[in-house]
This record gives sequence, C-alpha cells and structure tokens, in this order.
Amino acid sequence: MGKNEVRVGRDMHWLRIDRYYSSGVEEQYKEATGHEPTSPKVRKFATDELGLSRAEMYEAIETEAENPQVTFQPMMCQHCNHAPCETVCPVAATTHSRQGQNHMAYNRCVGTRYCANNCPYRVRRFNWFNYSNNNEFDFHMNNEYGKMVLNPDVVVRSRGVMEKCSMCIQMTQATILKAKKEGRKIEAGEFATACSSACTTGSLQFGDVNNEKEVVTKLAADKRAYHVLDYLQTKPNVVYQVKVRNTNEA
Amino acid sequence: MESSKVIHAFYTDDEILLDAVKAVKAAHHHIEEVFCPFPVHGLDKAMGLAPTKLAITAFMYGITGLAVAIWMTNYMMIQDWPQDIGGKPSFSWVENMPAFVPIMFELTVFFAAHLMVITFYMRSRIWPFKEAENPDPRTTDDHFLMEIPVHNNEEELTSLLSKTGAVEINVVDKH
Amino acid sequence: MSHYEASIREPLVLGDKSYHDITEDIAKPIEGKANKNWYMAFYISLAAMLWGFGCIFYTVGTGIGVWGLNKNIGWAWDITNFVWWVGIGHAGTLISAVLLLFRQKWRMAINRSAEAMTIFAVFQAGLFPIIHMGRPWNAYWVLPIPNQFGPLWVNFNSPLLWDVFAISTYLSVSLVFWWTGLLPDFAMIRDRAVKPFQKKIYALLSFGWSGRAKDWQRFEEVSLVLAGLATPLVLSVHTIVSMDFATSINPGWHSTIFPPYFVAGAIFSGFAMVQTLLGIMRKVTNMEDYITRMHVEYMNIVIILTGGIVAVAYATEFFIAWYTGSPYENYTYLSVGAATGPYAWPYAWAFYSLLFFNILTPQILWFKKIRRSFIWSFIISIFINIGMWFERFDIIAIVLSKGHLPSTWWRFEPTFVDVGIFIGTIGFFFVLFLLYARTFPVIAQAEVKTILKSSGEFYKKRSEQGIPTKPAIVVLNVENGKENSDKNLNG
Repeated sequence: MGKNEVRVGRDMHWLRIDRYYSSGVEEQYKEATGHEPTSPKVRKFATDELGLSRAEMYEAIETEAENPQVTFQPMMCQHCNHAPCETVCPVAATTHSRQGQNHMAYNRCVGTRYCANNCPYRVRRFNWFNYSNNNEFDFHMNNEYGKMVLNPDVVVRSRGVMEKCSMCIQMTQATILKAKKEGRKIEAGEFATACSSACTTGSLQFGDVNNEKEVVTKLAADKRAYHVLDYLQTKPNVVYQVKVRNTNEA
Repeated sequence: MESSKVIHAFYTDDEILLDAVKAVKAAHHHIEEVFCPFPVHGLDKAMGLAPTKLAITAFMYGITGLAVAIWMTNYMMIQDWPQDIGGKPSFSWVENMPAFVPIMFELTVFFAAHLMVITFYMRSRIWPFKEAENPDPRTTDDHFLMEIPVHNNEEELTSLLSKTGAVEINVVDKH
Repeated sequence: MSHYEASIREPLVLGDKSYHDITEDIAKPIEGKANKNWYMAFYISLAAMLWGFGCIFYTVGTGIGVWGLNKNIGWAWDITNFVWWVGIGHAGTLISAVLLLFRQKWRMAINRSAEAMTIFAVFQAGLFPIIHMGRPWNAYWVLPIPNQFGPLWVNFNSPLLWDVFAISTYLSVSLVFWWTGLLPDFAMIRDRAVKPFQKKIYALLSFGWSGRAKDWQRFEEVSLVLAGLATPLVLSVHTIVSMDFATSINPGWHSTIFPPYFVAGAIFSGFAMVQTLLGIMRKVTNMEDYITRMHVEYMNIVIILTGGIVAVAYATEFFIAWYTGSPYENYTYLSVGAATGPYAWPYAWAFYSLLFFNILTPQILWFKKIRRSFIWSFIISIFINIGMWFERFDIIAIVLSKGHLPSTWWRFEPTFVDVGIFIGTIGFFFVLFLLYARTFPVIAQAEVKTILKSSGEFYKKRSEQGIPTKPAIVVLNVENGKENSDKNLNG
C-alpha cells in the first residue's frame, strides 16, 4: 500500500510473523535464578529484586536485551469456531463454513469494522481507500496485466470492505473440484495454502484434520499443541506447537 | 328546513367551568362539546364521557409487536437461512433467545407507541390538512367554550348558564 | 384545582401571569423577528454545518482512509461522537417521560425544549452509523427486508443491529411524543395568527386540533402511555449502545458495569446539555419567568446524582482492573497504564481530562449557591459535556490501542476530517435548535397553564393570604349576552 499507509498502520498483510524478543530483564532473571523465565515470575523479579516501580517494570519487560533470543509466531486468521468477528457483523457478511473456515463475503460487507475491533488477534484488514484501480497505489504490479499474473482467482476487493486470510479458499476449492471431477477421495497432503507451500522448513502445515493420514492431524493431537489466546474460548482452527529449544543448562 | 341552534357559553376559569358542567348535567341538558385550551382534571367524568380505551389498545399493539419480533427472528435466523455465525444461532430459537431480547423489546415498544398514536389520531380525527373545528379562536388561549344544543329552551338555558358564571353567551346556528 | 401544592414549594411560574400572558409570552418569539444575535449564531452554526457536510462528502467519496483509523483501531471519533450524541438525547426523554410519571410539575417549562434537543441530538447521532461504514450506500442492508440475494437476512446476534432497532425506535417514538404534545400549542399559534402564510402553516402543523374534552382525555392517556413506553427506552437504548462494547472481547470493553454506567452517563451529559441550551434560550426568548432558578437547581441535582453514579463506576472500573491482576486490564482506559504508560501523549492527557471534567468539576454543585447560579450552571454544564466526550473517546481509542498481542499495539491520531465532521454535527445541531427556537413554541404552554393556579407565583401568594383560586361567580347580565371580561378574569 505504500510507505505512507504502512506508516499509519494500514498494511494489508493477511499473514504476519510476530517476533518475540527476550528482554533484558528476562536474561537477568535467567542468570540470577537459572530458571526459564515466565511472565509473572519475571515481573515479580523486576519489582522485588531489581526494585523497579510498576511503570518502570512494564517499560523494562518491553525493552529487548542486548543479545535477545527470538521466537517467531506466524499470525493469520485463526478461523475460530466461536469467532468473535462473526457474531458482531450486522449484515452477516462473515460466517462459518462447514469445512471450518471463517468466510468473508466481500460483496456483503458494508464496512462497519466491528469484526476487526473484536478480533483478538487483529488479523482483519480494511480497504481504507480504493486500492485496486487507483494511481496512488501502483505498487506490486497493480496494473491491468499485473493483475492477471498475481492471484487471478482472488476477487478484487472494493473500497470499504474487510478482508483477511481465507486459508486460500480458492486453492482448497480447486483441490476439491479436481477430486470430484476425477471421482476420488482427496489424498493426504493434497490440500495446500500459499503459505504452507511457500515455507521451506515445513513449519506451516495445512490439511484436512479429519483425515488421520494428514500431517496436521498428528500435529494437532500432539502434546506440544496449543491455541493462541485459548482462554478467550474462540476455539481457533489454527494450532501452534510449543517451541522447544535445546539449551546447555539442562 | 329548520336550522338547529346551539348555545356557546364562555368561561375563563377551569373550576367555574367544572361546576357549570355539573350544574348543566344536573339539570338534564345534553352538552354537545366543551372546548378547552388545556386539559381540565375531572372534566371528562363530569361530562359523563366514557373512559378511553387507548391504553388497552396500546397493550394489544405491544403484544403484536412482540409476536412479530419472535416470528421474524425465528423465521430469518432459524428457519429460512440458518448460518453458522460464531457457533450461533445453534439452530434453536430458544437457545438463542437472549440475543434476540433487544429486538423483541424494541419492536414491542415501537408497535405499541406508533399504532396507539395512529389510533388516537384516527379516533379524534386529527391529521395533516384537517381543518380545525373550535368555534372560537380564544379556546386555545384562555377561554373555555361549552356548546349546548337548543330545543326551544333558549331562555331556560341562558339563565341557567349565566348563573353558573359564564362571561359570554351566544346563540348561533349550528353548521 | 388540578393538584394541590404546598405553599413552601417555590413557584414554577414567576410574575403576575394570567393564562393570556402565558399565551402571549410563548407566542412572542414565533411572531416576532429574530435579532442580530440570533442571526450571528445561526450563520456561525451554518458555516460549521456546511464544513462538516463537506468533510462527510470527502469521506464518502474518497474512503474512510481520510480519517485517522488504522488496522488496530477501527473506531475512534466516529463512534465516540455517535455515543456522545445519543447520550445527550436521553435527558430530553427522561424529562418528558420519566418526570411525567413521577408527577414532577417542574418539568413542564423545560420538556418541550429538552425533547427538541433529544430529537436534534439523535439526528446527529444517526449520521455516524451510516457514514462510518466503508460502503454507506449499502446501509439499507442492515434492515431485514426481503431481497433477491437468497433472500439474505441480517444477523440479529450483532449489537450493531440491536442499535439499528433501538435508535430507530427511540428517534421515532421521541418524535411522535414530542409532536403529539405540540399539537395544542401549534393550535394556539394558529388561532392567533394574522399573517395568512403563518396561519396556513400552523393550521397544517396542528393537525386540526380543536381542544375537545374527549380529545384532551385521549391526549392525557396517550401522553401517559407514551411516557410509560419512553421510560424503558431511556434505559434500554443506551444499554444497547453500551453493549456495542460490553459484548466484545476487548479488555476494558468486556465489562458488565457498562449498561448502568452508560445510562447514568447519558443522563449526566444530557442534563448538562439541557442546562447549556436553556441557559442561553431563557435569556434570548425572554422565558426567564418560566425557566427559574428552581428549574436550574433541580436539573443540577440530577447532574450531581448521575455524575456520582458515573464517578462510582470509574472507581469500580479502576479498582477491578487492578484487582484482577490481569496484565491485559492494565491498559484499559482507566488504569495505571493509561495514566503513566509509554503512550502518554495523547492518552494520558485524555485520561486526565476525563477525571478533571467529569469527576472534579461537578462536585462544586454540592454548594447550594453554585447550583442555583445561572452562570455557574452554564459553565459546569459545558465542562461536563467536554468530559463526557473524552470518556467515550478514552473507552474506544485507548482500549483499542492495546490488544492481547503486542503486535496489535498502535496509536491513534485524528485527521482534520475527523474533527471537521464532529464540528459539523455541532453546527447542524445548533442550526436545528436555533430554527426551532423561533418557529416552535419552546415551552409546553398548555401544560404550564394547567399548573398556573397551583404553582404560579401570583396564585401562591394569594393562597398564602387565604384567597381561594376559584374566583367568585359574577352573574352575567342576560340582556346583553356579553359581560365585561375584566370582572370574571382572575386578577
């Protein structure tokens, strides 16, 4: 969308990779106690042991260490089963499919933005201006030929509608229809999204969780599996795995 | 054709008016109408007017509104095109009823209020472009007007009314 | 006597007024010409309104991007203004409806103008749900109308949809209540009108009201029932508006205290706006005998009460946010984080404004001299409305600026378009109110006439001297058919 839009917080990325850096206080906590830091313990350590005031403590835990450790967390639409965004749309522009994806009907959206405000993950993006046929936003091959090359299946959104990750619904539908035409069941590993096929390390996996042969089925049932912000009871369909580091201490 | 006559008696005090009405009713004369610039407490009872049923109609209209709201939410969200919206509406109206309470309440009030007011306007025959029918413009300022039909008893009525404290008595033809 | 009133109660109508005097006083601003002050105020408001309309056209034509919103903060000035205006509207309905049910006769001098304020305020409020949409030309899609899309219906689970029903009901019922009460007063103007154009217009507006006893009987019944229906509307409409926030999952919004807190806040800001408007109006339309110190004092008492409830709600929110120990509650709009955090500008500034304008300034109304003072009431009422604007802004923008995940933290800054639209609605509101003040009877004169003999200063003095309100009957001389009108008129 150009630098100006990104600067005011209006990027249109449907997938972002959140990076969490360890803070200086965490490193100090690890050194002092030898334990892995958890948030409440680190905060207590900062106020009790280091003598920081409450405000200073919050500042400290948000400041990265000199040599921080990084954790990556890709964040896209979690396709929650109890989606907080779906309930609040007055015109029912976003509903849940039987396949488990959260659908965004661009042509029904009137743009109240309540769904975006209610998403705890803040993955929804709004078309603040007419980005498509607009000279002001001629980035990323935004001309009549470029449009035919990049994502020709994906509908062009008009001004004033919400959009978000759809789990590459066009790719999913294409897979299903291909299998239907060939009169067969869909095999494990056939479903893919753009992000899962782009990831070279295999950290993003996509598939039919009802099919036991799929990789995702095993990963979802894993001991390391968790949902982001699960206490909000959004029941997301995106499962993360706890990061395990091989450190020298243990 | 004999043109019918009416007496117009003017008063300037609501308490005197009330006593006058009672006196006229006690003498068994029929009061055609009383025009007032503001509502006089007890006047309708003194005149023998039946109490109004508008409040009851408002209640009926409210029940109608509630029924419409229940039918509408059930038809639209459960029957016709049920969609999975955040795990709701669970394909059961009863389970989702709490979410529909604001709609049900607002439609109840909406129907009750508007239909009652429309009924009031219809019954009292007031609407845009309706001509006013108060015989004297002072009745919206500070005078009360009692209209009594005359049946060959003009003298009797006039003396009765003057004794009750009318400030002005006119005999006019009823149009 | 319509009702008995103790002699120690202050009179509600000052001066030696008769029924005819009331008629004349209230007809005067309508029948007379507007003065220079009116025209100046009107032109300034008109300019503001046109500027606001320009900003709205710019927004609708170019996109919501001309506002200061972003991916994390989807609402700011738009919904702040919406809630602010709706809140202001609630006072008028409370005065018209709730005070009628409580038989508070002092409402009669102020209910007409307060209700007008409600309607004009809800007008302004109603603009925002439409213009804040990305595609407002499709706004009618929120209505459950049969269509060719399936038919595709609306989502009744959504608080925004509850708003549609609530605000429509509220606006239409308030309008109908106000208009029905206006009919006898329009009839008064109609019957006095000399200029043919004026006579025609007021004849049309009065719906042919003739003042029959049966009509008055129905009128009283309809007023009572409408009051009974409007009272729950006062509570429910702002409850539903508060649920736009309370039903969401954002910390700082997801709070069960919101419904009563918002309703109290609405009445608080609404009465403050009534004080502001009437403070000016009573002088320029010469209604000082009808809108007395007592009226101002009683309204200030309601302000102290509702302001107190709001202050308690703030304290509760602050305490609970701290008591939960949840880190997510630390950056809600009333928290240590908001006051001292890294987003100190402009949020701490907004936070402290809230405390000052909303909690501190109304406390001086505890002093009787202050709450009976016209000047102080006027100043404090403006402060309160400023504070209440900040309250809604804080609730919306500060809470949205910090979500659950750190990657969702952002800041909001308004653009000139945000500000312009707000100023435009203020201008539009005053344009409507100024026009109303010169064309509508600003006091419910028929109602005031019913209390003249019990609450008018003249009659109170006489009843203290033992003179009954019912004058002696003077028998008419039947030969003339007409008596000297002086003798029988009270006075």
